[in-house]
Amino acid sequence: MIEVERLNKVFGSTPVIQDVAFTVEAGEILGFLGPNGAGKTTTMRILAGYLPATSGTARIAGYDVHEDSLAVRHRIGYLPENPPLYLDMTVEGFLYFVARLKGVAAGSLAEKVTSAIKRCNLTEKRKVLIRKLSKGYRQRVSIAQAIVHDPPAIILDEPTIGLDPRQIIEVRNLIKSLAGEHTIILSTHILPEVSMTCDRVAIISSGKVVATNTPENLRAQLESTSGYEMEVEGNPRKAQSMLENLRGVSSVEISPNGTQSGERAFIRIIPVPGAEPGHELAATLIDAGLGLYEMRRTRPTLEDVFLELTTTESAVTGEKQAMEE
Amino acid sequence: MRLIVSNIIAIFRKELQSYFASPLAYLVAAVFWLISGFFFVSILLGPDGIIQQVAQKEQMGVPSPPVDVAYRLLQFFLGVMGALVLFLLPILSMGLYAEERKRGTLELLATSPVTNWAVALGKLLGVVVFFTAMVIPLLIYEAIALSAANPPIDPGVPLLAHAGLILLAAAILSLGMFVSSLTDSSILAAILTFALVLFLWVTDLIASRVGGPLGEALAHLSLLSSYNNLVQGVLDTSSLVLFASYIFLGLFLTAQSIDSLRFTRR
Repeated sequence: MIEVERLNKVFGSTPVIQDVAFTVEAGEILGFLGPNGAGKTTTMRILAGYLPATSGTARIAGYDVHEDSLAVRHRIGYLPENPPLYLDMTVEGFLYFVARLKGVAAGSLAEKVTSAIKRCNLTEKRKVLIRKLSKGYRQRVSIAQAIVHDPPAIILDEPTIGLDPRQIIEVRNLIKSLAGEHTIILSTHILPEVSMTCDRVAIISSGKVVATNTPENLRAQLESTSGYEMEVEGNPRKAQSMLENLRGVSSVEISPNGTQSGERAFIRIIPVPGAEPGHELAATLIDAGLGLYEMRRTRPTLEDVFLELTTTESAVTGEKQAMEE
Repeated sequence: MRLIVSNIIAIFRKELQSYFASPLAYLVAAVFWLISGFFFVSILLGPDGIIQQVAQKEQMGVPSPPVDVAYRLLQFFLGVMGALVLFLLPILSMGLYAEERKRGTLELLATSPVTNWAVALGKLLGVVVFFTAMVIPLLIYEAIALSAANPPIDPGVPLLAHAGLILLAAAILSLGMFVSSLTDSSILAAILTFALVLFLWVTDLIASRVGGPLGEALAHLSLLSSYNNLVQGVLDTSSLVLFASYIFLGLFLTAQSIDSLRFTRR
């Protein structure tokens, strides 16, 4: 449904996105995840036909977003980063205007507008001027604006920004209910949003897509780095070599580094994938005469995946730059 | 084609509604009615008004060609109106695109299946129709005053004159719309539009100073001389073409400037 190939955008001499590529199957929700300034909005704008790409192609429903811009615009709903609202119009008036603009036939105008209003829970506000609405309601009106003409593809740039927790849940449910009939791509920098709403995630960092996968697989990918964390009293150096020699332990990390006895320290263990050295670890520590205060499994969250993917990327480029200098 | 027309109508309706909902537009209309009413009364009945002048001349027995009060009134009055709209129209046109740029709604328009031309045309129609609504009350009191004229005047003359006023307004608004598309500050758009229109207003003055072929070319660009032709009841094709050219130029430049905006903006 949405195919993006080697998309590049250069502003002046700064590349904003580089070789971005992904596909979204019909009926799927793709989360476009990245820190602020990673190029999410730029990618969304290119997909919506608002900005032309410097090179590369993007196709929606088989039409090139630049060559067949009008054909694409008929088939997309787009929520820009800033809600595009006319403050002097009522909610209903605005949605009628957008529906007409998007080419909805006069016969089905009322039906489509009513259904969008219902879907976005705006029924009681439909005669209210947009100027008088709170930020959360305005955001809902902008989402209604993106779905009012029932487009096959929906592009949402940060759909839950500025909403309170209850509204966020409502919007997420709304987005989920749209999947199936609609293909959705949504950008966000909020991780739980992706694991809760999206079928697949593309992680973008400094303008490059660093991973595309399902949220579950991304988490599983880092499962190997799950480990143990222990808080001990005493000098953990005594136990270090014993711990390292245990079967199933791949690395041992102690912090703070030079610990005096009588102070508490943290030991982090990364096990060999598949190994469960939990009880040997505890036994070893106690044999070494250390006081064990806390021991827990650390499981990677999507945050860790995200941080690892986005920070390794910058560390690598940082090294490159250092080498070049 | 049908789709484009319905798009234009959608934009037109939205634009017209927003004028009728805007306090600023009412303020402009109020100032327009107040000043035009004041001038109408003083031109007709004031101490230096046309009727007084004629009466004085008759009293003093100065032999003079008979004055056609009705035509003089129309000419004077619409001349003043032409100058008045020069100040007021930039205020109506300033927000046409500048507001859309500022509010981010341009992104909605640019990603909807509408061409830049259709948007520009719809907007221009909206503001021109609003201005026409401002002119209608003038027609009513002029009709009352002119109905007393003896011999009765040809209704074609005042109608042509007002059509001229609306054409003049459309030309100014079209150029103002282009200026508005260049910036996201409404005030800046209003000031620049005023400067541009003032320049076009007085080009025939400049032309007479410059002289030569350049001066002649400049003289043809003058809004004032074309407007005066129509006000005097002369249905001059070259005036119509000039106004149409300005309107088209404004639409064309607006469409181009919005198109190029997408290439330069971050």
